[in-house]
Amino acid sequence: MFDEPIRRRGGFSLTPLIDVVFQLLIFFMLTTSFMHSQMLTVSTPAPSQGQLPQDANVVEIWLMADGSMRVADKPVTPDKLTEAVKAALKGRTDLTVSIFAEKGSRTQAFVTAVEAARRAGATNVATAKVDKFTP
Amino acid sequence: MIEFDEPRRRAPYETMVPLINVVFLLLIFFLLAGTMQPSDPVNVNLPAGQISDKNARLPAPIYLEKDGFVWLGKNMVPPELSGLLVKDYLKKQGTDRVAIKADKDAPADSLLTLMEGLRQAGVKQVTLETSQAQ
Repeated sequence: MFDEPIRRRGGFSLTPLIDVVFQLLIFFMLTTSFMHSQMLTVSTPAPSQGQLPQDANVVEIWLMADGSMRVADKPVTPDKLTEAVKAALKGRTDLTVSIFAEKGSRTQAFVTAVEAARRAGATNVATAKVDKFTP
Repeated sequence: MIEFDEPRRRAPYETMVPLINVVFLLLIFFLLAGTMQPSDPVNVNLPAGQISDKNARLPAPIYLEKDGFVWLGKNMVPPELSGLLVKDYLKKQGTDRVAIKADKDAPADSLLTLMEGLRQAGVKQVTLETSQAQ
């Protein structure tokens, strides 16, 4: 006669399973990111300022080195920028909004200006860098 | 002498079951709610913005650091050379769709130099990545 096979006990160890699950948990906690970034589409600038349209159909936004901004030669605070551009556009959407960034101005100001121009209804937004503000 | 019953010992694995339930829930939450993306070569504070153009996430963005230096892939180049070098970089990448991750304090003229180089390389539009304004 043969021996009866040894019966394994019903309660198997959960420890390796928990180890693996914790490893996975920590991996996903560290590698996932919840910050959703946005995308802002901008036209690339003409290589020189001279190639921008210079006629009357242009509204100019100047980004100054000290962080201030000017629209149509008048100083404007960043939170009033959209209204100022809208007023300068006078409801026309065929005008070009040109953004001139003086040497020393920052990317945040640039993004703010592009968004203000877009929200004011401008369809053409041109950008250029300049060394010094020339009124 | 009064004898009390000894408290019954529960089997150890039984107490683990709620813990495992919670851990599994957390695991599934992170699996479903998170998105994985490759880590950035440099730390950039994205500028705040409100407009969100619907755009698929573009691979291999160009990074612009706070001090104006530009990262083309794994190479850091000074801002004044970025416009010239970006053409080669795009040719190697085989793409003409470009996303730029610029620091909010990066000089705007570095960004514009880079964008001028992109224009000369034939790129008409770039995508600036921004963070959601509070």
